[in-house]
Amino acid sequence: MKRSKKKKRKTIPIPVASMGDIAFLLIIFFLVCSESIKDKSNLPVELPTSEYVKKPDISVIAYVVIDENGELYFDGQRVDSAKDIEWGVRALLTNSVSDDQRHVQLKCDKSQSKEVFQPVLQAIAEAGGIIEAVGETEQ
Amino acid sequence: MKNRRSSDIPVDSFSDIAFLLIIYFMVATTLVKVKSVTADLPAGEKSTQAKSEKTPIINLRGGEIFFSDKPVKMDELNERLAALDLPNQDGEKRVIMLEAAKGTPYQNYFQVLASISANGGVVAIVEDE
Repeated sequence: MKRSKKKKRKTIPIPVASMGDIAFLLIIFFLVCSESIKDKSNLPVELPTSEYVKKPDISVIAYVVIDENGELYFDGQRVDSAKDIEWGVRALLTNSVSDDQRHVQLKCDKSQSKEVFQPVLQAIAEAGGIIEAVGETEQ
Repeated sequence: MKNRRSSDIPVDSFSDIAFLLIIYFMVATTLVKVKSVTADLPAGEKSTQAKSEKTPIINLRGGEIFFSDKPVKMDELNERLAALDLPNQDGEKRVIMLEAAKGTPYQNYFQVLASISANGGVVAIVEDE
């Protein structure tokens, strides 16, 4: 059956009053969910260079930093030895088993000697972590 | 009598400000990604067994690199590693042993680590006796 009456077009107003609230809720969501920078990026660390560095498509579970003075930091907290890092990584890996959840970021000053960084590398490996050694692209 | 001015806070632009903040956060979060190399060092019991003759070993002595006891430069090391065709090898044949002398700077170690990683090798750290 054909409609004889022409349909009246209604103007539907979009409710914009609550847009601000939605936006602020989104901001709060991003603030809470985004990872806070735990590696204390302001630490004095001069990164090594290599032509093979690339942006990895993974997320890391822990941040280890060795600064220019040879001091060790685990997730932003100063630790005394590589053993503390091993235990820290071990504790984080107890519930995660997949390879994607085993990455540990390592930032080490390029002038540090083997005596300082090798125990840390071994500690992360012993705890079952995959090392993500941070560097810069070679100029 | 003095006229009272309306003291309403202008809220019309709040949503604009909020969305600008969201865009800022979204852009800033993507920008902080750092570049790195992945190294999955084997864990487990420390092996005291003698090194296999066939396992390639890289020694770092200060600024010098030795590949199976022969001095090489960084470019040569890359070529030697590429020649091993490590990604198509299985298990133990992908292992490259890495030994560093006392005082080796992290810069050199990192470059070798990156090179081995890029060529599909698995690094095994050789400890001092």
